[in-house]
Amino acid sequence: MITLHEVSKTYDLGKGSAVAAVNGVNLEICQGEFVIIIGRSGSGKTTLLNLAAGLTRPTSGKVVFEGVNLWDLTDTQQSFLRNQKIGFVFQFPSLLPTLTVLENVSLPPTFGAQTPAGEVRARARELLEQVGLSDKLNVYPRQLSAGQQQRVVIARSLINHPKALLADEPTSNLDEKTELEIMDLFAELHASLGITLVMVTHTRQLVSYGTRSVEMAQGKIVNGNGVPIFETRSERI
Amino acid sequence: MSLFQLAWKNISGNAFRSWVVAICALIVAAFALFITIVLRGAETSLQLASDRLGADIIVVPTGAEAKVEGALLMGIPAKFWMPSANLEKLAAIPGVENVSPQVYLETLTGASCCSVPSMFMIAYDPLTDFTIRPWLKQELGEGLDLGEVVGGSYISATEGKQNIRIYGYLVTLKGNLEPTGTGLDQSMFFTLDTARDIARISQTQAETVLSIPADQVSAALIKVEPGGDPHRVAIQILQKIPDVTPIESASLFQSSRKQLASLLQTILSMMGLTWALSVVLIGLVFSMAANERRRELGVIRALGATRAYISQSLLAEAGILALCGGAVGIALAVLAVFLFRRLIIVSFGIPFLLPSPGSLVLQISIGLFLACFSVCLAALFPAIKISRQDPAVAMRE
Repeated sequence: MITLHEVSKTYDLGKGSAVAAVNGVNLEICQGEFVIIIGRSGSGKTTLLNLAAGLTRPTSGKVVFEGVNLWDLTDTQQSFLRNQKIGFVFQFPSLLPTLTVLENVSLPPTFGAQTPAGEVRARARELLEQVGLSDKLNVYPRQLSAGQQQRVVIARSLINHPKALLADEPTSNLDEKTELEIMDLFAELHASLGITLVMVTHTRQLVSYGTRSVEMAQGKIVNGNGVPIFETRSERI
Repeated sequence: MSLFQLAWKNISGNAFRSWVVAICALIVAAFALFITIVLRGAETSLQLASDRLGADIIVVPTGAEAKVEGALLMGIPAKFWMPSANLEKLAAIPGVENVSPQVYLETLTGASCCSVPSMFMIAYDPLTDFTIRPWLKQELGEGLDLGEVVGGSYISATEGKQNIRIYGYLVTLKGNLEPTGTGLDQSMFFTLDTARDIARISQTQAETVLSIPADQVSAALIKVEPGGDPHRVAIQILQKIPDVTPIESASLFQSSRKQLASLLQTILSMMGLTWALSVVLIGLVFSMAANERRRELGVIRALGATRAYISQSLLAEAGILALCGGAVGIALAVLAVFLFRRLIIVSFGIPFLLPSPGSLVLQISIGLFLACFSVCLAALFPAIKISRQDPAVAMRE
């Protein structure tokens, strides 16, 4: 589903110095997988996720999503693809502070196909009910806890029925109990929707939720490219 | 949610930034409109005054040039005399078709015999007049008889419904003329016969006698033959008649025109500076806002918004703020012009006529356009810059 061919990303730091965040990575993520990318801080895992989603242009190599090289597309085509086929959950609070919970979840369809507003709202309500926030439709993000905000973000990421959900350290700002709740929610979504899930984390214990893990260090995949080296979720269950 | 709804949500969620931008738009729109109305009003006023005068050349005693301008433009009463024998000499100059005398008078200040203080009055000769009668006929349908006067737009009856007392003489106000924004609006017009009658009555009824020297007039208005050259006629007047100055209609109100031009220059410089400062300030505010919202905009891009959507959304915010600020600015400018029009005349020392509704609508549109253009121009660079950023880079701390 998502293939990275010899992908590298180098950031120019100015004054002639540069840092290779991702260095010649090859990775294939298949439909329905729950891939967990782990690594220390600065290992390049977030950059890899951004490359896979087309959020940043690779310095070299190819990123192919469902057979299409993302960087052969125009900005409009690429944006449409992201909007329709990929859902995002970020590490930081990513809800728009000026919009209510319901408006935040209803936001992505604004950028894509013209879905009737009523339909979008009904779907948003349904998703918020699914993540246990049906009583918070009209509150603003600042009125929610960090865990609740992340649930809203998950609901938002699913509004357009995406084929893949990419999550960048979605539990790093949460307490342990909430972290487990969110991870259970991901596992439930993966099982019930058959959605492809790619999650970046530095918490090794969470690897057990995935069907495969990938470990990164110094911009390279050092372990687990296609080989489940840690205890998988199925084994855990 | 539409682009504009999202923009509006951002505007209401960022009160301080929104106020700064809206106030800048308000200042630009209000300033632009106020200046346009005042300058256009002054120009129209000068043109109307020239048109109403209706002569190709006005001849006054040498040294009275500024006085006649002050009287006709600002309504400052003036009295000056020249021999009426000049009228025949003027008529004899080749190229002159018609000559008509005028006598300039003023009412008394603080005297019970005059119910209107310090007012400029123009007496004309109905037999030769070609300047006043046409617009009297146009606006009143007839000329004036003995004891009848017509007033500028600000003149109203002070004794009963139709009368005004001048030097103890009760004149009848036959009507008012359309406003010109000049001193003519505060002046009164009557025939030479009425002037002489007032002078006669003043000897017994007034605190001070109105004196009209025999064989003297204040000014002579000249109409040049069709196809004639007023400038050539003016040169001949200078050469042949001593102690008079011919003022061609083209150069009439020259000092006011110069004053207006200098005012225009000062105001345009101030306006240019204000505009440039506003654009820079709005640009800074938008740059700061775009930077502050970098991560948020990165998220929106990740969710599927195109680069164009990001810049359009920022420009929509700018446009809405410009329209709101501009509309308030325009309302304030219009209110200020209507409330302080007299003060504008006095403080700027220029004639001023309120614009017609059509002209006002046009000027409002220009003011609003300028506000929207300025704000959108200032927001354009930050909007394009932020929209071109990689979503991943934008979302980074």
